[in-house]
Amino acid sequence: MAQLTQAARPTLDRPISIVSWLSRKNRAYYLLGYVLLILLSAWTIFPFYWQIATSVRLDVDLYRPSVTLVPQALTLEHYAKVLTGTSSQFPIQFRNSLYVGLGTTLVAVVFGSMGAYALTRLRFFARAGLARILVYAYLAPASVLFIPLFMLMNSLNLRDNLLGLALTHLTFSVPFATWMLMGYFKTLPIELEEAALVDGAGRLTTLWRIVMPLSAPAIVVVAVFTFTLSWNEFLYALVLIQAKENMTVPVGLTAYVVADVFYWGQMMAAATIMSLPPLLLYFFGQRWVIAGWTAGAVKN
Amino acid sequence: MATLGTTARRMPLAVPAGGPRLGRDWRLGYALTLPVVLVIVGLIAFPLGYSVWLSLQDIKLGGQGTFVGAGNYSKILLDSTSRIHDQFWNSVYVTAVYVGGALCGKFILGMTTALILHAQIKARNLWRALLFLPWSIPAIVSSYSWKWIYNDVNGIFNNLLMGYGLIERPILFLADPTLAVWSVLLAVIWQGTPFWTMTFLAGLQAIPHELYEAAEIDGASTAKSFWHITLPNLTSVILVTVMLSAIFTTNSIQYIYILTNGGPGGATETFPLLAISQGLRAYDLGIAAAIPLLFFPMFALFIYVLTKRMLRTES
Repeated sequence: MAQLTQAARPTLDRPISIVSWLSRKNRAYYLLGYVLLILLSAWTIFPFYWQIATSVRLDVDLYRPSVTLVPQALTLEHYAKVLTGTSSQFPIQFRNSLYVGLGTTLVAVVFGSMGAYALTRLRFFARAGLARILVYAYLAPASVLFIPLFMLMNSLNLRDNLLGLALTHLTFSVPFATWMLMGYFKTLPIELEEAALVDGAGRLTTLWRIVMPLSAPAIVVVAVFTFTLSWNEFLYALVLIQAKENMTVPVGLTAYVVADVFYWGQMMAAATIMSLPPLLLYFFGQRWVIAGWTAGAVKN
Repeated sequence: MATLGTTARRMPLAVPAGGPRLGRDWRLGYALTLPVVLVIVGLIAFPLGYSVWLSLQDIKLGGQGTFVGAGNYSKILLDSTSRIHDQFWNSVYVTAVYVGGALCGKFILGMTTALILHAQIKARNLWRALLFLPWSIPAIVSSYSWKWIYNDVNGIFNNLLMGYGLIERPILFLADPTLAVWSVLLAVIWQGTPFWTMTFLAGLQAIPHELYEAAEIDGASTAKSFWHITLPNLTSVILVTVMLSAIFTTNSIQYIYILTNGGPGGATETFPLLAISQGLRAYDLGIAAAIPLLFFPMFALFIYVLTKRMLRTES
């Protein structure tokens, strides 16, 4: 039956002449599909291409009346100015973003693992209610929260402060991490933990020695997502941070707008550098995840 | 009693099937969930309540508040002589156009992309990587890219159009009151489509292939099987995606903030932008707290439905 299904579905593995290809059933849809694929890809790629192309262009090339789609000459001067310019705040802001992102991620993963373990393995009053509140919390709109959080951080003397900003990032990262890890913990075979408990290991030992190592792929994925959310966060950072040396990169990018004059080359260079950490994390995280899944001999 | 509890805990396998198999342990349960509860109470629930309290006061930043009851709400909703009344109703209209337009655009593009990626195409991974590209770029970064693309001086759109002699003067994509919201929408749709593609792809993969085979045997056209098989089977995925995306689209302010900052003349001022300008520029915190709260019932409804669904798929 499976083979029949396989044969009935059109395959494009063998080279065929375009005429016989088109004359087959549904071929028009495939042709339309490829045309659409090319158009859609051009649409998704263009702004990114333009960002990179702008960042490596000479200023004379950028502000010419008839700009060309392909840069005339390549330069790294914008990157140099952003990274090493004497008045550039970018390196400090990059470090700030790293601090906030890493701190938020660490707290979210630790709190999330503890909470998720309790919510999936332990039985206690209000467990189900708490799981429900977690989803409410995750979806709590930032547009409602930013004014009171601003006032809260103001009264705690944590406004214009990286710790205060990191605290606001917990509002989305902790519920998110807990919820994601709950989903993963539920898929883990419970027999291993039972065996450990029977052998006299405590709950915390079981969590630390069995659940956490088995969950490494999920933890990496959650960490990557949490870090990215925090790294890209804009509203709380905009509202809370005033001093340039306290800004994270998303808000710091506004520095390339000086009284309606845009330094587009530097702006796009800074923006490109900002896009790198999440991309690198996805790249390495993906390898981790695949390794985690394929090495799953322990799991069923 | 305590010994009994301990014994029960030490015998995890003795707990009847159906409940959590590892038994009862409330002390550790509360201890382990305490940090999460603290975050939810301290940083989400308390601020929400505080926001309601703020919205009932006439309070300026740094000043002492006076309790005005529903005064702020009636001023915003009913007092046609106040400026904030006009601004608020304008923001309701703009938010509706913005979110509605974004949802429609993302639905059409996301569905098209998902259907193509679901079909048997060559080099699927490559195409997928290209089509998901907008997702992997931070929204703040791409919002600046779009601002540069739309720019009236040396922006690539205007440069190309003028280069081919199609227009004589630059089009003010972001400064023209009627055009601005559509320019913002185009960029927002660009950024948000991959999320829809992803959920639709997952939904498509869950539809049993036998349904299509049966339809093919019955002689149904591709369009017909899309209408009678694909769409009905995706209803719940579509519903969840629409609600999630509505919440995310309304709350992510980067694109509007960077592209137009609510301008020109309020033409793109959705309610979070209005709340920001009331709170952080006019320093009128009571009003600023009340504005998002007026939209909260809609969010609450979405969140309620979503929660029910998320928990149902869990169990």
